[in-house]
Amino acid sequence: MGKEHTEEYSIIGKPIPRVEARLKVTGQAKYAADIEVANMLWGYVKRSPHAHARILNIDTSKAEKLPGVKAIITGKDFNGFTWGWSQPTRDEEPLATKKVRYLYEGVAAVAAIDEDIAQEACDLIEVEYEPLPGVFTPFEAMKEGAPLVHENRPGNITVEYHWNFGDVEKAFAESYLVREDTFQTPRMAKGYIEPPATVAYWPESDRLVFQGAKGSPYFPYRILSRCFKLPLSNVRIITPFIGCDFGGTKNDMTNGDFSTVMLAKKAGRPVKIVASQFDTLTTDLRRHPMWITMKVGVAKDGKITAIHNKIVSDGGAYTRMSPLTHFLTGICMGMPYHLPNFKHDVTCYFTNNPSSAAMRGHGIYHTTFARECLLDMIADELGIDRVEIRHRNIIKNPEPGTIYETINNVHIATAGTEECLTKVAEAVKWEEGKKKERIKGNKAYGMGFATGTYLSGTQLSAHNACAAIVRVCEDGSVNYLTGATDVGMGSDTVGCAIVAEVLGIDLKDVDIKRVDTAFTPADPGSYGSRVTVLAGEAAINAAEDAKKQLREFAAKKLGAMEEEIVFKNKQVFVQSNHARSVPWERLVRMACYDAPGRVIIGRGHSKRATDLHTLADFSTGKGDIGTNYSFTAQAAEVEVDLETGVVRCTDNSVIAHDCGFPLNTQAVETQVIGGSYHQGVSAALYEEFKMDKGLTLNANFVDYKRPRAYEAPMTEVLHVITNDPFGPFGAKEASEGSTCSAPPAIINAIHDATGVWIKDLPAQPEKVYWALKEKREKEQKKEKKK
Amino acid sequence: MKDFGYAAPKNVGEAISLLTELGGHGKVIAGGQSMLVIMKQNMLAPEFLVDIKGISELDYIKYDKKKGLNIGALTTHRTIERSPVIKETYPVLSEMEDNLAVVQTRNWGTIGGNLCHGDPAGDPTVVFIVLNARLKIRGTAGEREIDIEDFYKDYLEVDLNPGELLVEIQVPPPPPHTGSAHNKLMVMKGDMGIVGAAATITVNPADGTCTGARIALSNVASTPWRSRAAENVLIGKVITGELLAEAGRAASAELEPPADVHGSSAYRKEMAELFVRRTAETALKRAQAQG
Ligand SMILES: Cc1cc2nc3c(=O)[nH]c(=O)nc-3n(C[C@H](O)[C@H](O)[C@H](O)COP(=O)(O)OP(=O)(O)OC[C@H]3O[C@@H](n4cnc5c(N)ncnc54)[C@H](O)[C@@H]3O)c2cc1C
Repeated sequence: MGKEHTEEYSIIGKPIPRVEARLKVTGQAKYAADIEVANMLWGYVKRSPHAHARILNIDTSKAEKLPGVKAIITGKDFNGFTWGWSQPTRDEEPLATKKVRYLYEGVAAVAAIDEDIAQEACDLIEVEYEPLPGVFTPFEAMKEGAPLVHENRPGNITVEYHWNFGDVEKAFAESYLVREDTFQTPRMAKGYIEPPATVAYWPESDRLVFQGAKGSPYFPYRILSRCFKLPLSNVRIITPFIGCDFGGTKNDMTNGDFSTVMLAKKAGRPVKIVASQFDTLTTDLRRHPMWITMKVGVAKDGKITAIHNKIVSDGGAYTRMSPLTHFLTGICMGMPYHLPNFKHDVTCYFTNNPSSAAMRGHGIYHTTFARECLLDMIADELGIDRVEIRHRNIIKNPEPGTIYETINNVHIATAGTEECLTKVAEAVKWEEGKKKERIKGNKAYGMGFATGTYLSGTQLSAHNACAAIVRVCEDGSVNYLTGATDVGMGSDTVGCAIVAEVLGIDLKDVDIKRVDTAFTPADPGSYGSRVTVLAGEAAINAAEDAKKQLREFAAKKLGAMEEEIVFKNKQVFVQSNHARSVPWERLVRMACYDAPGRVIIGRGHSKRATDLHTLADFSTGKGDIGTNYSFTAQAAEVEVDLETGVVRCTDNSVIAHDCGFPLNTQAVETQVIGGSYHQGVSAALYEEFKMDKGLTLNANFVDYKRPRAYEAPMTEVLHVITNDPFGPFGAKEASEGSTCSAPPAIINAIHDATGVWIKDLPAQPEKVYWALKEKREKEQKKEKKK
Repeated sequence: MKDFGYAAPKNVGEAISLLTELGGHGKVIAGGQSMLVIMKQNMLAPEFLVDIKGISELDYIKYDKKKGLNIGALTTHRTIERSPVIKETYPVLSEMEDNLAVVQTRNWGTIGGNLCHGDPAGDPTVVFIVLNARLKIRGTAGEREIDIEDFYKDYLEVDLNPGELLVEIQVPPPPPHTGSAHNKLMVMKGDMGIVGAAATITVNPADGTCTGARIALSNVASTPWRSRAAENVLIGKVITGELLAEAGRAASAELEPPADVHGSSAYRKEMAELFVRRTAETALKRAQAQG
């Protein structure tokens, strides 16, 4: 099915090299930290040495006297402004004024003629604190009488959801087997190597320009408009190339972002702040650590009867995106397995740790890990093959034109999970593999499986508008304007490819303009795997609109009906007689130079995100959070050193991915390999911020481990094509779903190899070592008893 | 990073007089691979850097069958790793270098810098200890030579007086029927070992007894650690699997290793036992293979 489909297209559906690759590899691409503006000052943020303390006084007098200092600000300069992810959660100040809630929270900032002076001036600012007792785990935070992180938030609760579908208790009572276990996912770094950086200046007193590494530039657009009381028309956010995001900080604001703008205003000169790696790793948003207690009931044949989640989570000092994160832990539980009864209790607590926020696989990551491990435990207990138990539960791909509805009213038009799972099991020859000896010398080998799902084209209740403008220049070249931002995932390429495909021109004829809020249409941002699906749809509609304008003209010139005109391979011709044609460039020139000349500007916006079914309801856990949903199955092999506990993933790994239709096969593969398999391996085996009372102990990439390019294991990617009716050209998201399936596949593989369960990620050597030792000692005791 | 003064003397003499002139205010920098890390973390803020990286007279590898190996302090890790004469005569050094950091670090970091940094987790030291190496140090007062084992005073503290430079590492030729090995516990290739061990074993081909053993461990104490207890288990005996295990236990028993984000003290203790066994076993095989 997919193959025939591909042949219709000239550009999409094939491997397409990135449009910006040459600029990046030749060093021409400018990132935020590269930006230099005439007369620019350097800023630096003064940070708190306490994780929880009242601010009694800030004395800047000594710093003011340091030569070279041009402006000093404290939180008071912001006149009580607070901000947050949504209106009711505006609990954070640009710089703390009364109280600091996490270690190294910003309390003041300096602009000076160079960074060293700014830093030195920060050292001269004297802040008097009254240290307060803090809470550093959700379990401390939930205790009666625990210190409050926010005085107006009793119980330190950031957000909680309690949903109930069907009759879980009854289902458990009737189940053949019920299994419950607690799993743990740690704090993780987003791990971008590009430092977050911003340059801000005020060309006129009521006009702001902000150039920053922001994956969702319309967040600062709205927040800065409110903060500085400017009409949106006067807030100009210009996005340079972005060196990776993975959610969080580049969606949101930092102390440094606000400081650059306020310092620039006060100094009357441009100001730049580049965050150091230490600042980034100690204060930036990280993945929520969660404790997931999941209870699964099954019938004798392994069919799931009910799931009940009880989740405790550490949200850190501020609410940030936590309401969405925790909503996401439950909303997709009805996929990819049929789930008749479901209960979800999740509570996130404030602590005096740096705030947690979105990270790739947002929310769904945690519950996928728990569920996929539990399924293996259950399969073993029932004596059912681990692939087979998944097959028995998988939601079958709905017949074209029909929709599968989950128990919480999520609607699925396509689901390739079954095909994905079949393909990976075949690819790794599981039927033979499962009989193989696991132990060779002091090494053990094992294979693990997991499936995953993820929403694409996220639908939230506000700011969903997403549009594109396609401007056809008189020489036939095209400018594509979008509010969407490529943070490294390749959406610029896909957007250009879509425009080129629709207009029947070459990829090189399309030039994408990066976001400049003065010119590009508003867009929610790069999160929720929404860009390709929604901005892609907007690009189609805008290109179609431009084409319509040209088609009218071509019909007249070629003496044919409008609907007969075809645009392909840079020719415009009549369907019934290809000889009646005109080259693209010539047609455009004729149209523009005609009397009266035409200005060809196509406009389009995405409708899917708001058109479909029911919008998700956070309080009940019902409805569609996605426009459509991707599915993944994964097999991963590990090698465990039984004497040290060191686990390595081998190259014997396969990921089958249903992204509907891969618009750019190469981008899907590289995203799945580098962006989810490697990130998943890393999450499973290496990554964790180790903390001590709010202090991040491994805030550098030597002690915080991630595999490097030359030693990372490889995986094979198989495309499963389902052509989703709700995605552009049938597309759904690619690779956030496979980020979720990697950790459980690897943990399941460790269990397959050794018989031990590592239920708290990551499976670092010491953890695995003690688990192996404990198992050995237990077995020895049993032997003795015999 | 705080501002600092900087000079790059062209030879050892100039470097020593400059350092002497600066008294305690000058700090030597070679490849900067260790120093820049701690300077960036503001753990070290030298007033004046004396950059010796360009002093080519300390960049050499010399080998003589009778005298052994002489390595200039400014020889890079990469040069040692790739040196044909080292691969041929002291393969354990190439083996160790292959697992030291990444190519970029090995291209720029020097062997002298590594030893002088005094990190008990460092790899070269333990290998040089089991190879019985000596260090040549030069200062205004002239030259002195010390046993590498005596060079380490405490965590990041070595026996260097202000104005002194390490100039050379001297490795004697190994006795016949000797094998050496190095191995460390890495999560990823090139990691600083959570625990590391090096061993040199000499056997008497006539009766198979072990006539000499040197065993040293990294990252288990505040300085590199030579385990005489483990050596004593092996010397004078025909080494069996059980004896190797006993050597491991003997090494581990005397340790109270530090804990950090990569491993607890208890885990390091168990790994010390394992890595002494593993490396001694490899060293033994290599000694026996010499026929
Ligand atoms: C990412 C990374 C990974 C690493 N992994 C490993 C590893 O796995 N194993 C390992 O052993 N090491 C490892 N290292 C450390 C590395 O080997 C050393 O950083 C390097 O060898 C130091 O040499 P340098 O020339 O850069 O010394 P510098 O950093 O320039 O100097 C280090 C210290 O030695 C002093 N010094 C330097 N030369 C002399 C001299 N001739 N006389 C007197 N004093 C001197 C300096 O004053 C300073 O105190 C790693 C380093 C990095 C950055």
